Amino acid sequence: MSWFRRKKTEGVDQKAKEAYFTASQGQLIWARFSSNRSAMIALWALVIMVMMGLFAPFLSPYDPTIAGRDKDYENGAPQIPKFWDENGFSARPFIYATERERSIKTNFRWVVQENRDKRLYVQLFVEDWEYSFLDIKWDLPFGLPPLQVKTLTFDTHLFGVDGGKIHLFGTDASGKDIFGRTLHAIWTSLAVGTLGVFIAFVLALIIGGISGYYGGWIDSILQMITDAIRTVPPIPLFMALAAFMPDHWSSETRFFFISIILGFIGWPTLARRIRTHLLTERAQEYVLAAELCGASSSHIIRRHLLPSFTSYIIVDLMISFPYMVRSETALSFIGLGLKDPVNSLGALMQNVSQADVLLNYQWYFIPVLFFIALVLAFVFVGDGLRDAADPYSGTKK
Amino acid sequence: MGQFIQFAMTRATMALITLLTVSLIVFTLMELVPGTCAERYLAFKNTQGSQISVADIEAEEKRLGLDRPFLVRWTSWVGNVFFKGEFGDSCILRLNINQLLADKFWISLGICLAALILSYLIAVPIGIVSATSTSAATNNTLRFISYLGLALPNFLLALIIMLASTVLFGDSLTGLFSKEFRDAAWSWPKFQDFLSRAWLPIFILGWSATAFALQTVRALMLDEVGKLYVTAASARGVTGSTLLWRYPARHALGPVINSLGFDLNRIFNELPIVALILTLTEAGSLLIEALARSNDQQLAGAIIFLLTASIVALNFVTDILLAILDPRVRRGLMG
Repeated sequence: MSWFRRKKTEGVDQKAKEAYFTASQGQLIWARFSSNRSAMIALWALVIMVMMGLFAPFLSPYDPTIAGRDKDYENGAPQIPKFWDENGFSARPFIYATERERSIKTNFRWVVQENRDKRLYVQLFVEDWEYSFLDIKWDLPFGLPPLQVKTLTFDTHLFGVDGGKIHLFGTDASGKDIFGRTLHAIWTSLAVGTLGVFIAFVLALIIGGISGYYGGWIDSILQMITDAIRTVPPIPLFMALAAFMPDHWSSETRFFFISIILGFIGWPTLARRIRTHLLTERAQEYVLAAELCGASSSHIIRRHLLPSFTSYIIVDLMISFPYMVRSETALSFIGLGLKDPVNSLGALMQNVSQADVLLNYQWYFIPVLFFIALVLAFVFVGDGLRDAADPYSGTKK
Repeated sequence: MGQFIQFAMTRATMALITLLTVSLIVFTLMELVPGTCAERYLAFKNTQGSQISVADIEAEEKRLGLDRPFLVRWTSWVGNVFFKGEFGDSCILRLNINQLLADKFWISLGICLAALILSYLIAVPIGIVSATSTSAATNNTLRFISYLGLALPNFLLALIIMLASTVLFGDSLTGLFSKEFRDAAWSWPKFQDFLSRAWLPIFILGWSATAFALQTVRALMLDEVGKLYVTAASARGVTGSTLLWRYPARHALGPVINSLGFDLNRIFNELPIVALILTLTEAGSLLIEALARSNDQQLAGAIIFLLTASIVALNFVTDILLAILDPRVRRGLMG
């Protein structure tokens, strides 16, 4: 019996070994990554937040712009749904209705009070403001009619309340729902970061690629420029560039401009990595073989050299992401980036910097928690990916 | 020794070339900002009540030498900066930039360098422990705390500390000097007063720089710990922290010294924001003032150039320091 069992485990071992040796690069990285618990938790957090950003209009009960403001509940505290109170238990969660009052009793100031006898029940799939997942409007030049695409329009939202409004994270000074704003802000900040990383990546690929592939004097000159740009502190430079932005620019134009700035300043580190890697790979035999077969430079770069370090590039992009998001928030925080009506994490955090908020309206800090979670998730996923993509990390343990 | 001097000279020349390139980039950017110095000054005067015509602007441009071609202006700017150390006058304040910046720049640099030192005082031991420790819990906790420095927006940290100190000590800790020392000349009590306040920006800047420093130290240590010479040393009976400090740490810290310049770069990034919150009055806040509020390109260019120059200088110093400290480089240079 014991002999039989032993034979069987050996068989399993053999299978595991075979799977290990025949696995692709991607499968190996994933296997190592998924055994790293902190990285997996971070990955889940990240996926959830990206999803929240993507489905922000569906998840947020009210329009995050001024159109969706609740003028009877300005600077209102978060309303957390309850299941029971002194008046009894309810299977459907509820909040209390609020009343706004100004009289001699309240010293002639507007005071919002909860009416604990009037319950508002939380409903699922409520119809409210209309939103579209695809809404593009471009003004074309030469007097052509503007290009407009608007599809996937819905007006159903995950939740809401009957005969009133629910603000999970409270409202800001103009009565905008902070829950909705936060979700939309995550998406904006991610989009700025993605666009910035993408621009930086393309620039780094071109400049680092040319520099590393051709070497010689081209490399020396390009490296000199790269090094010079790398030494300039980016945020002061951003500030200088952001001063270009005229005040009358729309939020979309500002958005693109910021992403472009982020991209134009983020490339040098990545370009240097690509160049170093190309310089070492270029001397390998397989490149020589391809050259002797008559392959063109661009073919060699695309088909042979780039795939040899795709995993490094992905890791680098992942690591540079939190820095991009951070730069956006920093810029918006100083007041040079996206401004208040736009929902970006930086713009939301700008509201927090007054002592008044710190003492009286603590729920303004909820977006900051999301920012912290977002950056932490990115850093841990990046770290996990780096460990997983390193082919020597497994043999060390 | 001759070889060492040659090495130092090459490095110095390279640093100089980098500075020249940077000055060209900065100068070009400042040129691209819409409006010239002359227009800006006269527009400012216009708000004060005097009537300004196009002819006035042209005359002012001529007086400032703005009608010359771009390259000539750049050469004269660079020449003034390199040979005389003069940055000219600020566009709007009409004050000499050197006078405007003198103390403020040195204070900023001091704060940033202190933050850099603090970040490595934290990052080096934690990085080594994190790379060699086998306990996942310690490892994750240490990493979490240091990454929190990256994730926690530094303005939030500043706000919390300020609020706490207002409640506890009745002083908000903003600014770099207390009232009685603000305009006083430098003296020992003023310096003490400065230190009692400067720890806050240093701490905030240092914590956010720690995350990146820690990542570097940890990665480098991980590379070295598994190597054969470490196994050989432990086979000879060297154990514990002696083993770590004498063998892998010495190897790993070479590249760390090399990357100090870029860490300073990262700290400079945070400086304006921290300055804004703590209402500091040094170069960082002056930079915001110059860029965000008034488009003062002359002043902004000078500040960015000075910040970059200090990074280039630090890079040069670390290169030389590494050549002296690292026996491999030292033997190669000095025989």
